[in-house]
Amino acid sequence: MPRPNSKPTNAQIPDYKTIKAQFEAAKKKKELEDAAKAAQPLLDTQKQQSVLDAQREAVEATRKANFERRWWWTVGFWTWMLCIHAVGIAYFTSGFLLTRLVLDEKSQCAVPPTHANTSSGAVDILPDWPGKGTVDGGCWHPKTFDRAVVILIDALRYDFTVPVEDDAPFHNAFPFMYDTAVKSPNNAFLRPFIADPPTATLQRLKGLTTGNLPTFVDLGSNFAGTAIEEDNILMQLRDAGKRIVHLGDDTWDALFPGYFEANLSHPYDSFNVYDLHTVDNGVLEHIFPLMERTADWDLLIGHFLGVDHAGHRYGPDHQAMNAKLAQMDLFVRQISSVIDDDTLLIVMGDHGMDAKGDHGGESDDEVEAALWMYSKRPVFGRTDASFVKPPADAKTRPVNQIDLVPTLSLLLGLPIPYNNLGRPIEEAFSGPRGNNWANLAAAERTAAAGIQRYQASYFAARGMEQVAKPGSPAEMWNKAEVSVKERKPNWRDVYTNYALYQAKTLALCKSLWARFDLVKMGAGILIMALGLVVLLLYVSREEDDDMAVLDNDELDLAEKRLAMQGVDAQTTDEATQDFHKKLVKAAVLGGLPGLAVGLIQAVVFGQDWFTGAGNAALTSVASVLVTLFGAGKLLSNLLPASFWGWLSVVVAVAQSIGFASNSYTIWEDSILLFFTSTFGVASAVYSLKIESLVDRYLAVYHSVLFVILGRLASFSKLCREEQMPYCESTYYSSALSSTSATWQLAIPFAVFLILPTIVKGYLIPTRSYEGLAPAWIGYVFRTALFMSAAYWILDAADNNNWFPNLDPSSQSLKTLSVYVAQCVLGLAFVAGTTAFIWAPPCVSILTTASKTGRAQVTVLGYGNANGARYLLLPLNILTAVLLLSKPMGGGALALMFWQILALVEILDLNNLTTSPIGPVVLAMLGNFYFFKTGHQAALSSIQWDAAFIPLFTIRYPWSPIVIALNTFAGQILATVCVPLLVLWKTGPKRKGVLESVSRALGIFLTYYVVESLATMMWAGHLRRHLMLYRVFSPRFMMGATVLLVVDLVGILVGLAGVRSNALAVGEVFGWAE
Amino acid sequence: MPLIDPVTMSSAITKTTKAQMPVNSPKETPESSQLQPLHPTHILPSPSAQTAKHALPALQLAIFLIRFDSLVQNPVSTLWTSLPLVIVIQAAYAYVCLPVAGSGRGARKHRPGEKKKEGGPNVYAAILLSLLLSLSITPFLHVAMMLFGAPVLTHLQHTLLCAAHLSILAIFPLFYVHGVDSASWLAVAGFRAPFDETFGGLVGAVVGAWLGAVPIPLDWDREWQKWPVTVLCGVYIGYLLGKTIGGSQLAFGKKF
Repeated sequence: MPRPNSKPTNAQIPDYKTIKAQFEAAKKKKELEDAAKAAQPLLDTQKQQSVLDAQREAVEATRKANFERRWWWTVGFWTWMLCIHAVGIAYFTSGFLLTRLVLDEKSQCAVPPTHANTSSGAVDILPDWPGKGTVDGGCWHPKTFDRAVVILIDALRYDFTVPVEDDAPFHNAFPFMYDTAVKSPNNAFLRPFIADPPTATLQRLKGLTTGNLPTFVDLGSNFAGTAIEEDNILMQLRDAGKRIVHLGDDTWDALFPGYFEANLSHPYDSFNVYDLHTVDNGVLEHIFPLMERTADWDLLIGHFLGVDHAGHRYGPDHQAMNAKLAQMDLFVRQISSVIDDDTLLIVMGDHGMDAKGDHGGESDDEVEAALWMYSKRPVFGRTDASFVKPPADAKTRPVNQIDLVPTLSLLLGLPIPYNNLGRPIEEAFSGPRGNNWANLAAAERTAAAGIQRYQASYFAARGMEQVAKPGSPAEMWNKAEVSVKERKPNWRDVYTNYALYQAKTLALCKSLWARFDLVKMGAGILIMALGLVVLLLYVSREEDDDMAVLDNDELDLAEKRLAMQGVDAQTTDEATQDFHKKLVKAAVLGGLPGLAVGLIQAVVFGQDWFTGAGNAALTSVASVLVTLFGAGKLLSNLLPASFWGWLSVVVAVAQSIGFASNSYTIWEDSILLFFTSTFGVASAVYSLKIESLVDRYLAVYHSVLFVILGRLASFSKLCREEQMPYCESTYYSSALSSTSATWQLAIPFAVFLILPTIVKGYLIPTRSYEGLAPAWIGYVFRTALFMSAAYWILDAADNNNWFPNLDPSSQSLKTLSVYVAQCVLGLAFVAGTTAFIWAPPCVSILTTASKTGRAQVTVLGYGNANGARYLLLPLNILTAVLLLSKPMGGGALALMFWQILALVEILDLNNLTTSPIGPVVLAMLGNFYFFKTGHQAALSSIQWDAAFIPLFTIRYPWSPIVIALNTFAGQILATVCVPLLVLWKTGPKRKGVLESVSRALGIFLTYYVVESLATMMWAGHLRRHLMLYRVFSPRFMMGATVLLVVDLVGILVGLAGVRSNALAVGEVFGWAE
Repeated sequence: MPLIDPVTMSSAITKTTKAQMPVNSPKETPESSQLQPLHPTHILPSPSAQTAKHALPALQLAIFLIRFDSLVQNPVSTLWTSLPLVIVIQAAYAYVCLPVAGSGRGARKHRPGEKKKEGGPNVYAAILLSLLLSLSITPFLHVAMMLFGAPVLTHLQHTLLCAAHLSILAIFPLFYVHGVDSASWLAVAGFRAPFDETFGGLVGAVVGAWLGAVPIPLDWDREWQKWPVTVLCGVYIGYLLGKTIGGSQLAFGKKF
């Protein structure tokens, strides 16, 4: 059956011929029967009628049972696909995202690790000091200072602080620290301060306070994910009853909620990198008064952001940087003059900056910061006279940033945090003359014993054993322990031995936590790639697939008649019916041996337990591939045959290649707009081919509308840091806020007024605004939209305190808004699902008298019986995600739905419903609206507050589901609309609905698999890239999560919806096949 | 089953009939352009036309290259000052190389009563009219660029001038050749016209403009990445390439 867009060749396929032959046979038979009937008496006719009815019912029942069986096999296939994706992603992730266990143990002041570990009686290097074992005298080591002022100058690169012979604006502007270290070495020292990547402030602060290495994901993080749960120096201070004051960058507040003296601390927003002065001026304003009130605090943290922001905004090579550094120089001069004798002053950078002033990666410039310690008392010493002069560059005598934790802890008399891996800094413990080796050895030993204790706990928690092989840390430890117990220990050797142990352990931990497992990453990529090949083969188009689109009433009648007479007319169905069954069987059978081998490997050879899953996935995919090839699916089918096929391939591949570049990843939202607009314009041009004038204008109109709506939605923006300064956020009222502007509250009301009418407008032309549609769309949907608009008003009233008369403690507004939100979600999910399952088709049956006087039955909405009814399901999902997105996002999602409606019209008018372009454009829309609902491929853009829209507290599993609905609203809505591409404007006699939907879903998923695979491969390939943690890794995580979400929604909502829809339509009109 | 209502019960049948309609059906819709297929435009055979065919593109390219630095430095003023120059070159190109609309490629296009003049219709008027028409298209191109993501509230002059250059380069020759013949324009707008210099130029310029957007997001921090330099480069390169290929034996007369 040639369709205008299908390949006209070989249209007369054998199956078609057989049916036609059967049809001819039936026709002849019927003619004969008719002739016979005419001769028969009336009684017989009645009898025959009831027999026919029984036969028809039997046929219907068989067809229904067939459909349900086929549906289950289809679901089985997609579930298998989901498993393959999950295993592939899990495999890659296990090799890529480095994880570290977070131990809950805390160090105790009274329990020094040196005593816990020495089995043969405690050996102390230092004689007992007054107050030993208490915070006042020094828990594990004699206390040196009462108080400390920690000044963190963000992005203070080492070369900013030492003399360099050039005229660069960032050099020689900050000489004070170097000069003091040279002039009075007993009062100050300056050394390079090496950060462990990733060099982002948040990760750095973790390292600087816990003394441990940061990894991308610290296992044990809670739901909101930022507060530090590990033992850290601030926790030790707080638990010892000390008071901490914090000024500056508010990242500290997120990491240490409730730690700081509320009335003295002043956090400032760290987000706005275009503001060089607000944070710094705030710190400067508050820090000097505090210096006169030393009784009120024990640790004072001042975090300056000006240097960092100057770097981000201008780069280091700019006069603004010079001015900033000069300002810092003056500040350090002033503060060092006002501190008292018992206060330690530390000035440091948390990371450096690259040539352009950015940071995050692991290049030399980014990890090299500066550390300066200062005291009015002569405390610091050098073990070698040549160490007096600070190193000329950061490659000489660097200090690890984790070393700050043990140093500061011991100087303040605190226990070293449990997870510390650093060592005390030499200058601080070697005494003013630099020869106090016993003190050094004692400090080093305390830290090393802490590390040893931590390692033992960590290995125990992981269920591993430490082995004392030669050259291993354990061996180093034993050697050091022996040296300390000698009759007359050489303290210098003892010190060196413990230092060696620390270095070895640190190296081991780094290699464990900072190594990419290439084999696992490769296996993950391989599984995903093979899964992609399966998908491509699955969706590849074949001639007999066109049969599924057949839409012929007469043929259907004939077939039914044949079936009633016992003639098996379902030759075509057999193949499709068995297809999924065959695939699933191959998948299961293929997976079993792999699983078995994996389990044996795990048990016998002690490999990881999930090796079995990986093996099973590989063998299973291979087996399915063989089956697909056996079914005649060939790779040559994959070559696009039409302009639209090429366009689908080009956009998917172009984007995938683009993910290799940080720029294209950063600007993905603009690129998606560009591609969807390209589709719209191309379809407008293509529509000019349509012969019928009305259809042509309609198609052009919908194409233009499609483009305009997309462009309109693109005004909703939330810029990521990297897009600055070329991007202006509009999602919130300002760049510094995460609340909506007042005018944005009008958007949900506009949606409430306009959207139901628009949906109605798309149903009217096919007379499908019948059945449940008017009630559901006109009243229920509208009510839900009004309620979600009301929700956002209540939310804003609560946030901005519009009703000051209300008692704030009663939280009446919050309570009300939560119940409104719950109502909307109840309407969408509970009432909506029930209505969708029970709704009859959106048709109406009219009986009119025709001109000849005979009664004529007209079914309104017959031509769109499938699509109009299915539309109710996406509407329900839309209702839910509209509520859970901020007002701006809600408006964007409404535009998205309108665009999807325009898209299905375009596809129908251009006869493109079987072309891959429909699902691909839909998938692009899904990703596009991910960005338009205030998200970016960055962890920081997750809108955690959405969890509290329908709930008062975090509740599992609801909170994560709400967050997922908020984050992936675009993709979820797109997935639910996939069947709409197939079902729109098809009548009840549309055959192969399930197979066509499954194929469309396959193409839709292919887009996401390609994206996910591409980001995976690029993230793996660029694992040493500067932007890995900022750009590539987050995009990979987004791609992987989206793929799993889309897989799951496709099965649970898409396929289930098609089943329910087919059952309802089949019930009324009879089964089409 | 009788036909009842085109949008209800029988819509499926309508569709079926559409689907069933054999491709070789003798009766196509009458207003279809296929009734009178559009002919590719030949460059005038005169020696001056054959020379100008090569010389003018070279001149255009040379001017573009010479003014490139100034374009990067100061896009708006450069585009303003070069616009008249482009208009003159395109007008000269039309005058020398292209047959004016209605000049008739075959005798059948002549109305019987019409007196056959030396230049056919008034060439100067045709040039002027085509210029006006293509300039009047400019706002639409401007909107189209905005739809693809060009700035809406800022850079208005940049985008408008870019659209004007595109219009003068790619649309003007088509107006000159086809006039306002709706069937021809339907074929051109639907990208079903046969390749010749004018249509090839349009296709090249559009594809070039599309590809010209590709380097914009890259973080190379180059001056020339700013709007609309890359798109303009794409338009010029694409137009000249498309025109050359469209007029060459490679593609002349062929369709998509």
